[in-house]
Amino acid sequence: MSSTYAIAIRDFTKRYGSFEAVSSLTLEVEPGSICGLLGPNGSGKTTTFKCLLNLARPTSGTMQVEGAPVQPATFEELAYVPERSALYEWLTLADHLEFNRRSYRKYDAKRADELVNLFRLERKKKVGKLSKGQQTAVALILAFSIQPRILVLDEPASGLDPVFQRVVLDLIIEAAAGGATILFSSHQIGQVERAADRVAILKNGRLIVDGTVDSLKGSEKVVEAIFDQAVPEVDGLTSDARIRRVERSGRILRAYVKEDSDGIARRLSEYSPKNVAVMDLNLEDIFINAVGGETALPQGDR
Amino acid sequence: MAAIFTVDPRSGVPLYLQLIEQVKRAVALGTLGPGEQLPTVKALALDLTINPNTVARAYRDLEHDGVIDTSPGRGSFVRLDGSVGKSRRAVDDVARSVLGDAVREAKTLGLARERAAEIFGEQLDRWFPAGEKE
Repeated sequence: MSSTYAIAIRDFTKRYGSFEAVSSLTLEVEPGSICGLLGPNGSGKTTTFKCLLNLARPTSGTMQVEGAPVQPATFEELAYVPERSALYEWLTLADHLEFNRRSYRKYDAKRADELVNLFRLERKKKVGKLSKGQQTAVALILAFSIQPRILVLDEPASGLDPVFQRVVLDLIIEAAAGGATILFSSHQIGQVERAADRVAILKNGRLIVDGTVDSLKGSEKVVEAIFDQAVPEVDGLTSDARIRRVERSGRILRAYVKEDSDGIARRLSEYSPKNVAVMDLNLEDIFINAVGGETALPQGDR
Repeated sequence: MAAIFTVDPRSGVPLYLQLIEQVKRAVALGTLGPGEQLPTVKALALDLTINPNTVARAYRDLEHDGVIDTSPGRGSFVRLDGSVGKSRRAVDDVARSVLGDAVREAKTLGLARERAAEIFGEQLDRWFPAGEKE
């Protein structure tokens, strides 16, 4: 792979007054890969995107796209779908497409037509009259029809029904198959689990998890012990360095284990549970472990 | 034909390994015959809604394992040559994976190694009766 990252965010910090929205974030995205950015609301995802695209100024740190700072010419090869619509409400979809046709060399009218039909949109309707989901669809059509090398998508499935959420995922996969690099944020952990090579999780402006989906899943196991009666006190379990977190609910004890899951399973077996099982983690488990079980998930997860 | 593969993204088993196992299984069982073409990386990625790099990685490993051949511009095909030897290996792989799951299950039930071996022996006796040599 090329030594130049498609996207390189290095030691990026953004402060608003005394509030630090993002703290020393470094995130490098390989060309041709799909990177999923997860995090609770307010964790700094949108701030990061805005600064990456030069729509806001970083307090410190550097942002590069294909090895250079973002400048107007960058947008020939980079499409951005913001979380909140940045469309002209008084213009129609047809107007927006015409604007794209004039502005982008690689604008593909045929592709745009396909996408308009796919999302079943009316071209003549003022964008301001469209639902939030339809506005998201318009932004996606504009982004994907210019055939960019890089796509930055801030919650691209928000406001869309499950059928169109799947369409968005297909668009992302298709673009990646064509060699595009995609950085997208989502609350839909299942989407990221399917599509992303790599996952980054932000919490309170800090990068707390960064790795390939496979390596993250491989790095932890759950050891679950089910007892006949109440879960017994197991000495030293919470202070065991091999264990990240222990969860007790009713007759079930669940230990999230960083290493030696078999050893932990043997240890729990000594307390004569009815059953002990070592289980793999899915990305949702990893996310909840990372951001803390007490954090309410934003609606629409999974 | 792509519909013969399915993956479970929520599983802890990496998707590319799930895919490799399924292709090997299909070859071993004859669902994918020698010379048969596999879906393109893009088609399979879209069909399964997974990352194309995951499919590409699975295909690369399958080629390395001698299960498929990929020629640029033409696509990926189940290998024609040595299909017996190769699918022998594929059969071994499938068996290894199925038996591995069974042993793991036995272990999570709290079975001691010796007891598991006994039960395994019982099953071997049942399905491969004494005197019957392959």
